[in-house]
Amino acid sequence: MMSTFMGSPRGRLPGVAVAAIALIAAACGGSATSSPASSATGSAPASASAPASAGSPSGSAETAYSGPPATLEYSIWGDPAEIKNQQAIVDDFTKANPTIKVNVTVSDWEPYWDKLQTGLAGGAAPDVFAMDGPLGPDYQTRDALLDLTPYIQGENYDLGQLDANAVKDFTTADGAQFGLPRDLNVIALYYNKKMFDAAGIAYPDETWDWAKLVDVGKKLTKDTNGDGTPDQWGVYTETTDMENAWASFVWQAGGDILSADGTKSALDTDQAAQGIQFLQDLIWKDKVVPDPAIFAETGDAFEQGKAAMEINGSWLVATHEAAGLDFGIAPLPKGPASQATSVNPTGAVVYKGTKSPEAAWALVKYLASPVAQEKIMALKASVPVNKQILSTTYASAFDGAQVFADALSYGHLKPSFKGYNDFNTTLQTELDENVFNTPSKTAKEAIAAVNPQLNQILTENQ
Amino acid sequence: MTDTARRPSFGSGWIGLRFSRIRGGKPRGPRAGEEKWGWLFISPAVAGLILLSAAPILATFAISLTHWDLLTAPDPAGLDNYAKLVNDPRFLTAFRNTAFYTIVSVPLGMAISLGLALALNQAIAGISWIRTMYFLPIVTSTIAIGLVWSWIYSPSSGLLNQFLGVFGLPPQRWVADPFWAMPAIIGMSVWQGLPANTIIFLAGLQAIPSGYYDAASVDGAGPWARLRYVTLPLLTPSIFFTGLLSLIGSVQVFDQVFVLANPGKPTSATITLVYFIYEAGFRNFKMGYASAASWILFLIVAVLTFIYFRSQNRWVHYQ
Repeated sequence: MMSTFMGSPRGRLPGVAVAAIALIAAACGGSATSSPASSATGSAPASASAPASAGSPSGSAETAYSGPPATLEYSIWGDPAEIKNQQAIVDDFTKANPTIKVNVTVSDWEPYWDKLQTGLAGGAAPDVFAMDGPLGPDYQTRDALLDLTPYIQGENYDLGQLDANAVKDFTTADGAQFGLPRDLNVIALYYNKKMFDAAGIAYPDETWDWAKLVDVGKKLTKDTNGDGTPDQWGVYTETTDMENAWASFVWQAGGDILSADGTKSALDTDQAAQGIQFLQDLIWKDKVVPDPAIFAETGDAFEQGKAAMEINGSWLVATHEAAGLDFGIAPLPKGPASQATSVNPTGAVVYKGTKSPEAAWALVKYLASPVAQEKIMALKASVPVNKQILSTTYASAFDGAQVFADALSYGHLKPSFKGYNDFNTTLQTELDENVFNTPSKTAKEAIAAVNPQLNQILTENQ
Repeated sequence: MTDTARRPSFGSGWIGLRFSRIRGGKPRGPRAGEEKWGWLFISPAVAGLILLSAAPILATFAISLTHWDLLTAPDPAGLDNYAKLVNDPRFLTAFRNTAFYTIVSVPLGMAISLGLALALNQAIAGISWIRTMYFLPIVTSTIAIGLVWSWIYSPSSGLLNQFLGVFGLPPQRWVADPFWAMPAIIGMSVWQGLPANTIIFLAGLQAIPSGYYDAASVDGAGPWARLRYVTLPLLTPSIFFTGLLSLIGSVQVFDQVFVLANPGKPTSATITLVYFIYEAGFRNFKMGYASAASWILFLIVAVLTFIYFRSQNRWVHYQ
């Protein structure tokens, strides 16, 4: 949909509102970098980042921060609910570490990256900032992030306490750790209990497969006023990013996005095509998922009570509750090859040029700690990454939480590599235009058309 | 016509224009003392122009000869970025879309503005209220306009589809449709750009001395003949001016598309050149590539403006 722009799976504001804020930020950011000053100040981060290891890491993971007083800028993206959540967690952190002051700044998805890039180029990036798993390598390989390995080793910090997949997104090939995961985005099947009850259909469960989804989807797609357009859709999902649905379908069909070594697109296989084709068929053949244009302006049809099921992420639990829906959560239906879903961590990373690396590390560490993770869980914002919380209190946090926790065992990590944005934009434009919004090509034809470009992008970014 | 003959050629054109106004158009060369004071008085503007326009433009050219990701040191690339651009399907799409936008929106916008200005140039009761109403878009931000127009174009419940439905026409998906996306954006842009052009046309109309019309009437010219042989020729300076601004603005179209359509999503029909530059630089870490695209855009604007300026001898009439 419109609001999920350039790989953001978290479209919650109307597209125009997001674009509006982005435009303002783009205008500000643009003027900052289009001036000749940017090339002069570009050298700033290099000099500022030199004393990264000045303070020697000290104490065990449990000891509080004992360094000099520090003020940290912590930047995140998100909607008003997420701002409140992160602020609450940060407030606890500063209470426990009174010598550290933290200013939380929040942007929408789009302007967040504009501001971050101009800030990094100008040597004025926030000390700690949120990082989307797939985009991490674009920043890490460009020397923008502080290597946290010395702190982890110095304190014997146990990475094993965090979900392994989530940690992996912030680990380089040679084992250096650039940031810690903060929370997880997991895809599952939401269902509207009232609509299922009204139709006398049993709720979705772990036995479901693709055929069952289509079958029930058809039964729950209803044109009540007889105008030729359904007023209730069987399934709602978003097509503009691989994360919301189609990447999971590709994995369920036995395919993958990238080759194992990450150097080539793996989409040109029958399995990958089958996964993408399934989403096209849901929209245009089985007609159980609405034409993406219909809800492009108004957003989530499930949230509006216009769809019986939704394939989407864990970040929607609180939103759906706020909308007053009586809903349940089930695993994604199994595909022809296996059970699979998409897992994508958000992490906290440290700017290489930070003046307070130790305080920044303390904050990053705190965000992944059981105390902070418990809070994330209570706010239902996302799935926690801390195993202690995942295995104890999380399962009973709300109806369906267990589904997300279980999904981590069969979840696939959303691809994360240098050049991700370029790759994703090129791929999605082709899929949106020719596969999902108008079925002018089959998935296989579209992949054949775009695959050489995708491989070209991967080669350029090796 | 006499004014154009003395107008400096494009390039130093803007500064030269100011001088010719300072001198009041008297046909003699500047005295040395006056020239110095002239430069002194315009020095703030010139300094701003050099620092904020000329220097970045040149810096952009230097960047366009490198591979630069904004965060690490640039690598020299020669003309590699330019060579890649002309083969990049996304760039060519952006080029085509921008050309389509310009070719349709500039003449359309000017024709409607001119008609509106003629209609508003009437001595009827309450005309100032009516004019104010038509000028409202000029004080409205593109963001607000985009929000309202996205409701108009909404495929499910939009005003436009409901209007079509009244006549039994099928609903369209507008900005989500590869065919309709750009026309839909042009529709909004033309509406948004009307007041600016209309004001200039109105001012031009009111500057035409009524004596010309009286003389034309005496010679037997009807309303159509007066429009064709008095109004339009005397309005050509205004038409030239609005045409120039519209042309440059159209080639650089960005915000209307960005707000209304989210370029590239769902259809590549809405990717424009400036959006392509933004995307390459700020999304894909390719500042050198983006700079090269900027320079191609700059050359397109420069060439179009040059041709347009040269054409004025043939059709612009100054009183």
